[in-house]
Amino acid sequence: MDIGELETTAALAQIDLGNGDLERLGEAVSQMLAHFEKMNTVDTEGLEPTTHALVRDNRVRADDVTPSPLADAMIDQAPEREDRFFVIPNVL
Amino acid sequence: MYQTVVGLEVHIHLNTKTKAFCGCRAEFGDEPNTNVCPVCLGYPGVLPVLNQEALVQAYLVAKALRCELSPRTLFDRKNYFYPDMPKNYQITQFHDPVGRNGSVDFLSPDGTVKTVRIHDVHLEEDAGKMIHAGDMSLCDYNRAGYSLLEVVTEPDLTSGEDTEAFLQSFQRLVRYLGVSDGNMEEGSMKCDTNVSIRKAGEPLGTKVEVKNLNSTRFIKKAVEFETKRQATALDGNRTIVQETRLWNENRDVTESMRTKEGSLDYRYFPEPDLPPFVPDKAFLQAIDGRLVELPLARRTRLLTAFQLSKEQADFVTESRFLADFFETATGTGGTGPAAGQAIANWLMGDVQKELNHFGLTLEASPLTATRLAQLQALLDSGRIHIKIAKQLLVAIFEEDKDPERLLKEKGWEAITTEEQLSPILDQVFAQHPAVVEAIRAGDVRQKGYLVGQVMQATGGRATPGLVNSLLAKKL
Amino acid sequence: MSAPVVSPWKQFQTKKEAYLAYANPWEKKIGSFLSFRPETPAPATPGPLAGLPFGVKDNIAVEGFPLTCGSKMLANVISPYDATVVARLKAAGAVVIGKTNLDEFGMGSSTDNSALGVTHNPWDITRVPGGSSGGSAAAVAAGLVPFALGTDTGGSVRQPASFCGVYGFKPTYGVLSRYGLTAYASSLECPGILSADLALVQSVFEAARGRDLNDQTSLDYEPQAPRPVKTIAVLGDLSDLHPDVRAVYDQTLGHLKALGYTLLTVNLPSLEFAVPAYYTIATAEASANLARFNGIRYGHRPVYSENHEDLVRKSRTEGFGNEVKTRIMLGTYVLRSGFQDQYYTKAQKVRTLIRRDLQKVFDQADLLLSPTFPTPAFVHGDQTMTEFQQKLADKSTVTANLAGVPALSFPAGLSSGLPIGMQLTAPAFGEPRLFEVAAQFATRVPVVPCPGTSLDWSK
Ligand SMILES: [Mg+2]
Ligand SMILES: [Zn+2]
Repeated sequence: MDIGELETTAALAQIDLGNGDLERLGEAVSQMLAHFEKMNTVDTEGLEPTTHALVRDNRVRADDVTPSPLADAMIDQAPEREDRFFVIPNVL
Repeated sequence: MYQTVVGLEVHIHLNTKTKAFCGCRAEFGDEPNTNVCPVCLGYPGVLPVLNQEALVQAYLVAKALRCELSPRTLFDRKNYFYPDMPKNYQITQFHDPVGRNGSVDFLSPDGTVKTVRIHDVHLEEDAGKMIHAGDMSLCDYNRAGYSLLEVVTEPDLTSGEDTEAFLQSFQRLVRYLGVSDGNMEEGSMKCDTNVSIRKAGEPLGTKVEVKNLNSTRFIKKAVEFETKRQATALDGNRTIVQETRLWNENRDVTESMRTKEGSLDYRYFPEPDLPPFVPDKAFLQAIDGRLVELPLARRTRLLTAFQLSKEQADFVTESRFLADFFETATGTGGTGPAAGQAIANWLMGDVQKELNHFGLTLEASPLTATRLAQLQALLDSGRIHIKIAKQLLVAIFEEDKDPERLLKEKGWEAITTEEQLSPILDQVFAQHPAVVEAIRAGDVRQKGYLVGQVMQATGGRATPGLVNSLLAKKL
Repeated sequence: MSAPVVSPWKQFQTKKEAYLAYANPWEKKIGSFLSFRPETPAPATPGPLAGLPFGVKDNIAVEGFPLTCGSKMLANVISPYDATVVARLKAAGAVVIGKTNLDEFGMGSSTDNSALGVTHNPWDITRVPGGSSGGSAAAVAAGLVPFALGTDTGGSVRQPASFCGVYGFKPTYGVLSRYGLTAYASSLECPGILSADLALVQSVFEAARGRDLNDQTSLDYEPQAPRPVKTIAVLGDLSDLHPDVRAVYDQTLGHLKALGYTLLTVNLPSLEFAVPAYYTIATAEASANLARFNGIRYGHRPVYSENHEDLVRKSRTEGFGNEVKTRIMLGTYVLRSGFQDQYYTKAQKVRTLIRRDLQKVFDQADLLLSPTFPTPAFVHGDQTMTEFQQKLADKSTVTANLAGVPALSFPAGLSSGLPIGMQLTAPAFGEPRLFEVAAQFATRVPVVPCPGTSLDWSK
């Protein structure tokens, strides 16, 4: 994978590639992608993709309120908070 | 001269008690981060659990919009990072939305019925809310995971006015279906507006997406602004940039949103945590059972059946409640044009006045359709006349009782016989001998004074015709 | 199925000093737990597993315990809730005494990818315990707990079980709820059970399984009507096996024949594409599953950031290790528009093909046997076992995940002093067949405890 594609991919994944990561990760990613090419040698014409492992259709729940008692415990885990809000640096 | 081409992506909050994928209360205005659980806060290990009612309402709207209903609907993940979205992907429907290829009619301000094609209807989840405060932002996830329905139209609208009318018509439609309150100001309906222009006969131009529009009026203005802006650009041989612009409601202009380099790539793929949904016969029958006559069809029917004016028809079909009220009131009191006119006049005139006076909505007021029908029936039978009817209406608002009972309690029934009226007339004659003399001497102008005195003495209950004839007889 | 387990918890409690005197030195030596609280376990409730202590891989939620996933990203996160499997085991009387080490977010085959600690194989501390459920395997093999929960995305329960000489069981997809399992590859993974006691594996499975309303992909257990296993398929084209694994494999075939099973040689041509298909799907799903870790609601936050994007990028760049970043990048790439058809969609079609081929095998045979992993436990930092080589070696385990079917790694014997596991794969809901054959095999080749350990929890 060329550097440009790697950087675009990293941007989409919200990961910075500094300190040699570009080369190190780039090599690992490219090696796997090359391995993935192997799939092109197999004929899958007419096959439906399998998106789910083994599921039953039509799983739904009733529209009944089940309030969670965990709101406060989760707010307590906020790296930074203000009253009941999660705080982040300002969006410009 | 350019043609304007508008396509819409309308989002509505569905009318569910809980969020789309967890049992948290779907409620606005609570303390921040109270209606949250590990699922809607995106905790490690949690899984979405689909709300059946959200799915039912999604299919209901798709059906009302004459879509092809998906025989097997599936969810997808739409990947992008934003702080208000806990999982940093949105569960939505990309490959198999609940409905596709629909259409819906609306009444254009030019008086014609126009059709807008629907590209698709899909169910998804809303994000949380961010409040910007100085050098920080505050995140509240109460809204995160709300069930949201997105309706995507084809680019079939051709003016700001039509766009506004279409959206108002769409609001009425979702309210009739009971799936959303469709309120743009409160954020339960949002609309991203794609605007492009072209010369007649040419292919579609480059579209610009306008966001941050929180009223139908702003959307109309934004479409008109964009039309002018894009026309000026093309006339000046500049190209239109495909971009997202924000509506600035203080300046009535759209402004370019600073776009990050590298276009977004949402990397949609099937949501592995939610199995496909295959609607069965019972499910589809339940949808049919919840379908109602849509506002435009109802307007046309009532307009014809009761020979209403356009204004009357618009008024009585504004909401399903009002239309039901109107039909119940006319049905109880006698059907046909006369009843329709009478009830429409009540609703648009005195009822409206009293609602304003008492600060009530019709839904919450003591005036029921049956009571209004009873009131009209009293009027039709001559047991009261119009002035008393208006008094009775106020009394219904004040005392929350049926008109018949109020009539008895107040003793407001009309005086319709000579036997009842004669002694009152004699009494008035006795009180005003000079006036009686003057009239008898030929000064007929003073007759009106006597009539007024009779009406006052009877509290307005005397039938004016009877007063006149008896007066003539006695004089 | 199995007899109720006799509770050793009373002895465990009354002989706590003795237990700690045994456990603490072993734990110091192998580092299997990331959090270890044997002194003050929660009170047990009555039930079929009453008083039985267990370890839980640290990517599965246990209320009040950390949920680190072996990552710096979540090092300070405490789970506010229990995973469904944990809640069910607690309800059956079992008691969590610690969270076990793992490759970060389950990504690896050695547990060396943990950012929070190193785990050694109790058989040889210069060697890895396998992964990603390496902590669970090591803790069970060292006799610190009678059983432990792991997660199996592509072999992460079976491979460490093989390396540490214990049973590693991956059930039919959906039968053990994923609610509370920190998602890596949602359509492939499920909780799994590790123990040296096959009957206990079954008891734990019984207590934890079944449909869960919090997981709409979960299933009720609908076992196939029991019928005695007769035919076991073996692969005709096994290559690249380490000589020690080859030796134990050949012995295993002999034992199975001696037990009266018919061995049927089959070819599974699509197996060649299992690893690329598996890693394409797994990394694609991972790229979305791990997007939620952004330092806003919980987890690692950088010391300073200018704005929200800076915050998210720094959190992720500082919080994730290299292998995790590599897989997120890979998964992001294979989903990108323009590449998705070539990679992700292609892999899903290959997955269909593999399932179909596997079904053909099960049309002819009751089970499929293969070595769990082509090598015995390798040493830490083995240059011949690079991350890439480890991925290629997942060949025989990933098939069960791609197909959603159950598989069991059982201790098949020792070679050069190291345990070697063999794997049985069954069609969906064919768990009874796995247990039946593994139990038969154990009558000829009993589980050997690692020197210096006691695996006996039945006293
Ligand atoms: Mg959308
Ligand atoms: Zn929730």
